[in-house]
Amino acid sequence: MGTDAFEITVNFVKMVLIFLMMVQIVPLLVWVERRGSAYIQNRFGPNRVGPLGLMQLLADAVKFLTKEEFVPGRGYPFIYYAAPVVAMIPATLALNALPLSIPIHVEAFQMMGSSWGPYIFKFQGYDFGIGIVFVLGVSSLAAYALLLAGYGSNNKYSMYGALRASAQTISYELAMGLSIVGVILLFNTFSFSEIITQQAGPLSFGFMGRNVEIGWLPNWGIFYQPLGALILFAALFAEANRLPFDLPEAEGELVAGYHTEYSGFKFNMFFIGEYGHMLVASILMVIFFFGGYTLYPWLTPETVAAWFTGFSPTQASLLTALVLHVVMMTKVVFFLWIFIWVRWTLPRLRYDQLMDLGWRTMLPWALFNTVATAIIVLIARTGGVN
Amino acid sequence: MLWEAIGFYSLALFLLFFAFKTITVPNPIHAALYLVLTMIGVAAVFFHLGAEFIAGVQMIVYAGAVMVLFVMVLMLFDLRAEIRSFSRGLFSGALKVMSAAMLAGLALGAANSSVAILEAPAAPLGGGDITRQLGIMLYTKYLYAFEILGILLLVVAVGVVSVSRIKGGTHARH
Amino acid sequence: MSQLLPVFALALFVIVFGCVLLAFANLISAKAKPNTVKDESYECGLPSETSGPTKVPIKFYLTAILFILFDIEIIFMYPWALTYGDFISHGHGLYVFLAMAFFLLVFIFGLFWEVKAKALDWE
Repeated sequence: MGTDAFEITVNFVKMVLIFLMMVQIVPLLVWVERRGSAYIQNRFGPNRVGPLGLMQLLADAVKFLTKEEFVPGRGYPFIYYAAPVVAMIPATLALNALPLSIPIHVEAFQMMGSSWGPYIFKFQGYDFGIGIVFVLGVSSLAAYALLLAGYGSNNKYSMYGALRASAQTISYELAMGLSIVGVILLFNTFSFSEIITQQAGPLSFGFMGRNVEIGWLPNWGIFYQPLGALILFAALFAEANRLPFDLPEAEGELVAGYHTEYSGFKFNMFFIGEYGHMLVASILMVIFFFGGYTLYPWLTPETVAAWFTGFSPTQASLLTALVLHVVMMTKVVFFLWIFIWVRWTLPRLRYDQLMDLGWRTMLPWALFNTVATAIIVLIARTGGVN
Repeated sequence: MLWEAIGFYSLALFLLFFAFKTITVPNPIHAALYLVLTMIGVAAVFFHLGAEFIAGVQMIVYAGAVMVLFVMVLMLFDLRAEIRSFSRGLFSGALKVMSAAMLAGLALGAANSSVAILEAPAAPLGGGDITRQLGIMLYTKYLYAFEILGILLLVVAVGVVSVSRIKGGTHARH
Repeated sequence: MSQLLPVFALALFVIVFGCVLLAFANLISAKAKPNTVKDESYECGLPSETSGPTKVPIKFYLTAILFILFDIEIIFMYPWALTYGDFISHGHGLYVFLAMAFFLLVFIFGLFWEVKAKALDWE
């Protein structure tokens, strides 16, 4: 985490800030969801509490905090209370592994009488060489929160909901893992920062020894892997239990599925986990297929750094990172809006349709995508190096 | 270095504690949950040894798939917690002494032949990223094992489906 | 190990955060007044009809086991995808593609057989 106190403190505060960002995004996203769904359904959403209804979520949070706390009579208290806390952990760990901007270079400076050396702070909690594999591993732990919730309530509807939810989650993890294989075939690396770096510049690739370059398109993954992007996006909907795959939470089917017996803030913590997964899913889409924090040709690390030549190197680096972070978050917010938009547009899939889709449609198409990508990469790169 | 030592030894202590609780706690579901924590700890140990990809695979396959299956199965049987978590009797006492002795022998042998834990792992053959080395070796030197593994997984898949259709079971073919 | 410390520190922080929130909610919420109706499991307000262990269809277990198998196969594709470019640049691209193609053939045959044997059918 760092070699001296300053670095350790800054790194720890950074991780906590990223976690708190995830927690704070929940009220904002719920507001966007309620207003957005209202406009889609031709009605007003919450617009009384505070300007534009923004304080509605604060009021809701206070309401949640003061609800009566009890454990269902036949429930198991420790597991019942542990499930919502466990629900927040996978999304947080995955979120901290994703780069949100370029690293910040801090020059040596003097403070409190001693000199603190030059640092490089990455714009993420921790950076592993096996980035993608870590995110996949931690996301697969999300099934446990569902199972613990269903079991801890000791209610047969909760148990059914938990079983169906975890069966759905693991079925779509296959399609997700396979579509990521296509991305790795393309970029030849597991590390997220390298994937973003490889998407800089204009669209250019080598094809059988000749270099093809299309100057007006950026070198984004979506142009190389459209099918893979579509499959990954659909599978990520299922991972986050969002419509059209949200049967585990379906009202009217299983009451509220695995969180039937939860009220108050415990219920909210499940939603922090769900929206956290949505956030991780959007960031993954942006990193793999939409260039991450660069936007060729106007906003690349070099062009943005050129705006801040008058400042000291530390400040210039910080400002560049912030601008690129805003670029990335704009793209992420676009995907979050698509998540919300799809929820209120598409009908919910029945459970057997859902499992059929996962195993009999998405898995074969993901396999086809992998094989096709491998063949094309073989043909394109033999005889030349890209 | 101090933090590394503290980190490793606390990880090892937690791992041993979770593994011990797995076998001694009377409720089977709690045992499965402790086993999940043990798997996550083992993944951390792999990571510490430099096998980052294997750590990720351990999380994805073991803690994320196999243990989910175990927990799903256990949660759906209405298992009562065992009334006595330790059995009595002469025969089982003898078994316990024997297994404790085997465990002690294993631990001593491992301690004798292991290298210093806190040193950095040896550089991978030929240098370079260890995951890439793993990939290259898997598809050149161990290709035969890899293909046989694919066929083995197919056999397991067919076997699982057939066993679930055993005559007299709920899913028998009419 | 030094890379893992932030992960554990963060997990610990999330757990502490969750527990603090739960304790806080417990403090300022209305006190629990248990009565028999509230304590029963919620089943749309109707009293519980069946009791005892729930019988769960075997499909769930079959799905989980098949998931494990296919997950292992997908895991093997990760180092392949990582080193595919290296193999190509050394001229052995076709070889490693064929090696994985045989494995994929077995995988696809397995999936095809499962679908034909109606092991993945859900009602």
